[in-house]
Amino acid sequence: MGDLEEEYDYTKIPPTGSVEGIAAGAPEDSPRIGVYVCHCGINIKMVVDVGDVTRYAASLPNVVVARHYIFMCSDPGQDLIRKDLAEGRVNRVIVASCSPRMHEPTFRKTCSDSGLNPFYYEMANIREHCSWPHGDFHKEATEKAKELVRSAVARSALLEPLEEKLVDVKPEVLVIGGGVTGMYAALDIANGGYKVHLVEKKPSIGGHVAQLSRTFPTLERAASLLTPRMIEVGAHPNIDLMTYSEVEEIGGYIGNFDVKVKRKPRYIDTEKCKDCEKCVAACPVTDVPDEFNEGLSTRSAIYIPFPFAVPPVYTVDAEHCLLLKEGKCGDATLDGVKEGKEAPPCLEACPGAIDFGQKEEIEELTVGTVIVATGYDIVEPTVSAEYKYGVYPNVITALEFERLTSPSGPTGGKIVVNGKEPKDVVFISCVGSRNKQVGNEYCSRVCCMYIAKQAHQVKEQLPDANVIVTFQDVRAFGKGFEEFYGDVKKEGVFYMRGLPGEIYKKPGRDRVVVRGENTLLGEPYEQEADLVVLGVGLAPNKGVESIISMLKLSTSVDGFLMEAHPKLRPVDTATDGIFIAGCCASPKDITDSIAQGKATASGSLLYLVQGRAVIEPAISQINEEICIGCARCVDVCPYGALELDEVRHVMTVNEAVCKGCGGCNSVCPSGAATMKHYRDRQVYAQIEALTEITDVGMLAELESAAAAVAAEASAGATDTGSETGEGEGTETEAVPSAG
Amino acid sequence: MGTLYEDMVACGGEIFGDEHIETLRECVQCGKCTASCPSGRNTALRTRKLFQMALTDMREEIFNSPELWFCSTCYTCYERCPKGVKTTDLIRTMRNLAAKEGHMSVPHRMIGVYVMKTGHAVPLGPAQKELRKAVGLDEMAPTAQKYKDQLEQVQTIFRTTGYDAMIDFDWDTMNLKGMDKGGKK
Ligand SMILES: Cc1cc2nc3c(=O)[nH]c(=O)nc-3n(C[C@H](O)[C@H](O)[C@H](O)COP(=O)(O)OP(=O)(O)OC[C@H]3O[C@@H](n4cnc5c(N)ncnc54)[C@H](O)[C@@H]3O)c2cc1C
Ligand code: SF4
Ligand code: SF4
Ligand code: SF4
Ligand code: SF4
Repeated sequence: MGDLEEEYDYTKIPPTGSVEGIAAGAPEDSPRIGVYVCHCGINIKMVVDVGDVTRYAASLPNVVVARHYIFMCSDPGQDLIRKDLAEGRVNRVIVASCSPRMHEPTFRKTCSDSGLNPFYYEMANIREHCSWPHGDFHKEATEKAKELVRSAVARSALLEPLEEKLVDVKPEVLVIGGGVTGMYAALDIANGGYKVHLVEKKPSIGGHVAQLSRTFPTLERAASLLTPRMIEVGAHPNIDLMTYSEVEEIGGYIGNFDVKVKRKPRYIDTEKCKDCEKCVAACPVTDVPDEFNEGLSTRSAIYIPFPFAVPPVYTVDAEHCLLLKEGKCGDATLDGVKEGKEAPPCLEACPGAIDFGQKEEIEELTVGTVIVATGYDIVEPTVSAEYKYGVYPNVITALEFERLTSPSGPTGGKIVVNGKEPKDVVFISCVGSRNKQVGNEYCSRVCCMYIAKQAHQVKEQLPDANVIVTFQDVRAFGKGFEEFYGDVKKEGVFYMRGLPGEIYKKPGRDRVVVRGENTLLGEPYEQEADLVVLGVGLAPNKGVESIISMLKLSTSVDGFLMEAHPKLRPVDTATDGIFIAGCCASPKDITDSIAQGKATASGSLLYLVQGRAVIEPAISQINEEICIGCARCVDVCPYGALELDEVRHVMTVNEAVCKGCGGCNSVCPSGAATMKHYRDRQVYAQIEALTEITDVGMLAELESAAAAVAAEASAGATDTGSETGEGEGTETEAVPSAG
Repeated sequence: MGTLYEDMVACGGEIFGDEHIETLRECVQCGKCTASCPSGRNTALRTRKLFQMALTDMREEIFNSPELWFCSTCYTCYERCPKGVKTTDLIRTMRNLAAKEGHMSVPHRMIGVYVMKTGHAVPLGPAQKELRKAVGLDEMAPTAQKYKDQLEQVQTIFRTTGYDAMIDFDWDTMNLKGMDKGGKK
């Protein structure tokens, strides 16, 4: 076993062929199955003897014709099916090819275009299940392909036609996250003429891009790129901007998602706030770490996150405001303020916009589609403790560096450390990325280029500074990236290969020492530095967890949101009408984030423009005559699709909510809950057909292999040996013989 | 004898499991191990380079290089390697193979001699004995260094496993063959 048989030469198999099936003369109203075996170029044919599978298919019950062809998904391939359907030759179609995830929609459409109900289509996956995994086992892979075809044939004969249902789509969209991704998604939909509710948890939209100083590789000011778009979002008549808000609850289904949004009180009347800043000077609290500046400066308890914030209004931070936290600010008490008898300093300074009587509000919406664009958090730099972030002030994150070089930042854009201009600056790549030990195996995609940008910024501001970038690989794959990297090196930034091992400080010194190996020289070095910038990676935003559970989204192993298909459906999710875009799906730069944001807008507009959406018909069905109303299924249904009709005491299915997972089917004690397209009898027929073993020679081989395994196992264990042997014997006998 | 990699998986796999040793192939030569190595700070040990040499099957060069024996097995690189390469255990495995092929360094063999003679890699010396007496303890700790019969058991283990032959131990002089007491040729 194992070697490709010499006599099998796939090049000898012609590009197409067909065999008349044993049911060729069957009456029109009986199942008449056509089986179409695909070569997938040579992907399948190289291992699976497609000619043999075709001949075998023709010998199975109800098969009228079996054909094989080089590419079934091609137009001429689909024509074979169309022709057989047009001539009335077949009324059931099976394609034995690749995964249904790949081409089930293709062939279903081939059928429906020719007037056959698409649920009379069935697929046998002989590529992912046969030729690819069993590449060295030609004979066994061919046998397995036959078995899969046999089980598809058994199921096909029992299939029922299903009607696809349509639901109306509410012409409004919910966008969660007001970073650059969510902003672009919202703008496209709004400009298309539809209503968008944009929910952002922070007081302003803008996300991380608002914090950046310049952008690679063009070095444009991030603020000048972003501000016009932010203003557009804030002023757009079709955009209902809900900042300082969070989604509390989402239910429903494509076309009709019911959403509850929590609107946190800002204690400011946004209409009346004049953006005059007088309250800030009055507030006695001055030591709140400023999150927009990454903690490099402080702010008061009443604040605007940054000068070009949208909406341009102030917010009272309830966590730090003395009046809200401790009930007293200056001489004013919260009760006194609410009664209008007393006033804290901010209220006295403010021309009438502050309102401590505001309460949290819940707003209810119904939307047709949902776009998740919750972005990222930077990886905690302390995951690589050897770089001493938080221990030495000379060690900062790249996001802090963005604030240092930003005109709106704490130093007005000047690069200073401990009050001095740095002379030696070291950048460290891949901090918290590409690192199994910290649990992030992926590459964060943007750090190589932002490091190049930041290294350039140092050189530009401090031409005499010694700037070293330490790296393991430089990934400069985007448009203009490699050229930019070259330019930065020409400016005198030294790229030193090798990741530093640790950072330490000699007693009494301000500067730190970076220990590394220049791997291209094979020589260790110790480099003193005034400033070390950690090229921290990107991780999924922590705030996304509640969204994941509300929307029943999946995540990939890296923790980022999972797309419906990594190549073919990059912004769809497993649930129709829910889209993901930007850095919540994987790390990416602004360009790619915007592209995805716009893609989700287009995906949503498809539904909004049509006003209707097709819902999956392969869902649960309750046989009301058998249902005993025990409601056990309600507990297992993850989508809340089931509801007991209290009057008739039977279960009912909300067809738009049910995803056809089959949970109810498996727990129903009376057999009343079944799945359309996966009826018990259809699945059992499939299983039975699979467990038949037809090839007698193969059976003997399997038996002797099993016996050998049993003998080996019993060689060591004396008393269990005979039992194992017996077990094997009875099991083999129980297998039904050739059918 | 296969490639060095194969032999390492066979030899180290027995102790640590194959997958542990197979991490060698995941090394991306980032140099963080060398950069973290306290020994490499003062010696010629380039941890990263050892793995590159192992991957390019430079068996003789590794086995004949004194650097292989400079690792203090502190496991710093093991903790910091971003790829989860089991660095220190790979070095230990290479040492095992080198030793089997007669390449053990003299200081390492001398440690064997101490164990053979006293049951300890670091036996109690005069200073420690004084210290023990000063704090009111028996001059000797109750170990193989004190009890002849226990020491004999240690020596039996060494004889049975052939360790004595591996380090070229001379039972007459109770030292390495061809060496004076200081361990020098
Ligand atoms: C140091 C650094 C420098 C960079 N430099 C560049 C550069 O020069 N050029 C470039 O192209 N890219 C750069 N990037 C990458 C850039 O930041 C991202 O491409 C971009 O921010 C992605 O936008 P986003 O909208 O997907 O995510 P984000 O910018 O993270 O925005 C997500 C938004 O969603 C909000 N949100 C999160 N959770 C919720 C929730 N549950 N409910 C409501 N709202 C929520 C957040 O508050 C935030 O406003 C850099 C990144 C870093 C770390
Ligand atoms: S009440 Fe006091 S602490 Fe709160 S925002 Fe006003 S001045 Fe600041
Ligand atoms: S983009 Fe560059 S710095 Fe960032 S993780 Fe990837 S290789 Fe490392
Ligand atoms: S730290 Fe790990 S990946 Fe990097 S060179 Fe050393 S062993 Fe290889
Ligand atoms: S374990 Fe060995 S190679 Fe690794 S850091 Fe310690 S001394 Fe260096």
